[in-house]
Amino acid sequence: MRVLRRALLAMSVGTLVAAILRLRGSGGVPPRQGRWRQLSGPDFR
Amino acid sequence: MDRIFADVTTVAVIGAGVVGRRVVRQLAASGLVDRLILGSRRPERLHGFVRQLIGVDVEVIAPGPLPSVDVTVLAQPAGGHGELADEALGNGSHVVSVSDSLKDVQALLDLDAVATKAARSVIVGAAFSPGMSCLLARHAGSRFDRVEEVHVARMGTGGPACQRQLHRARTKEAIDWRDGNWRKRPGGTGRELVWFPDPLGARDCYRAALPDALLLSTNFPDADRITAKVAGTRRDRLTAWLPMLRSPHSDGGPGAVRIEIRGVRNGVRTTDVIGAIDYPSAVAGAIASIATEWSILDALPSGSWSLGMLDDPVPWLRELEKRGITAAVYEGISRS
Repeated sequence: MRVLRRALLAMSVGTLVAAILRLRGSGGVPPRQGRWRQLSGPDFR
Repeated sequence: MDRIFADVTTVAVIGAGVVGRRVVRQLAASGLVDRLILGSRRPERLHGFVRQLIGVDVEVIAPGPLPSVDVTVLAQPAGGHGELADEALGNGSHVVSVSDSLKDVQALLDLDAVATKAARSVIVGAAFSPGMSCLLARHAGSRFDRVEEVHVARMGTGGPACQRQLHRARTKEAIDWRDGNWRKRPGGTGRELVWFPDPLGARDCYRAALPDALLLSTNFPDADRITAKVAGTRRDRLTAWLPMLRSPHSDGGPGAVRIEIRGVRNGVRTTDVIGAIDYPSAVAGAIASIATEWSILDALPSGSWSLGMLDDPVPWLRELEKRGITAAVYEGISRS
């Protein structure tokens, strides 16, 4: 019974931590090369 | 009565939310409209707004039969746009709809025969996405010899009604055009990191019930894939199944659209990326206003169509540029 309670507690804590990380965490952003160029009159010919 | 109003250009704007008010302001300033009829569920709330409109006769009406006018702008929340457009066509009016609901868009496209017979325009999805997204896809696609894939991504919303519609769309089935057939996919799936124009940058985007693919498929019938996704946070995905937990913002901007087109140009397989960043409500207001003004001038084709079905989107993009709404192309490589 004691082992079961500990297992349940561990699973609950693990789920809570995973949920927090999942919702609040950031996976970071990969690098990129290049830039955005605004279109103007000549691009619309 | 007909004789009295023969030379009076009248426009009805149904819906006085964030987008509806922007349309009204631009139309009042255009000099093309003599009389504006503003439809609202709560007319008593519009006294202050109406007082700001100078040089145009304004009438505020409550929900009921649509008035007989030259152009009817449907800027109310999504749902029922098809029925209202049918009624407006019966009154001899051009119709401009800003709805981004798949059901509304399909219903409006189904009015093509009625609109063509009546020699009136039904302009579908005259907003940010669809609308600006369709114009950009059409413009970028015209530079290819053969378009193989079109991928639309958007972030941001207009007013509260737009945010509620997006909340509903996140859990509904998305439609993707794949190898000549429509495929239904669950909303909230298909995570993809998309680089929007700076400063918004990279955002995760997911499938949702968005109408862009449906509206673009006519002009890219040979494309293997046409998809549309929307940016969302993990919290958006988790709470999409629940009622909105907090009141929507008064304006869900700034937002962005990004269109990636893959195809063949001069025998070489090429990918072009084009996008725009602005307040979705401002762009929707400008596009709906331009559509209304050009309908008044009889400069648009009859029938039911979207901006992605235009032969030449350049006049629209030029007019938007004049109004301060610009597009951008991505030059470089993004690794995601």
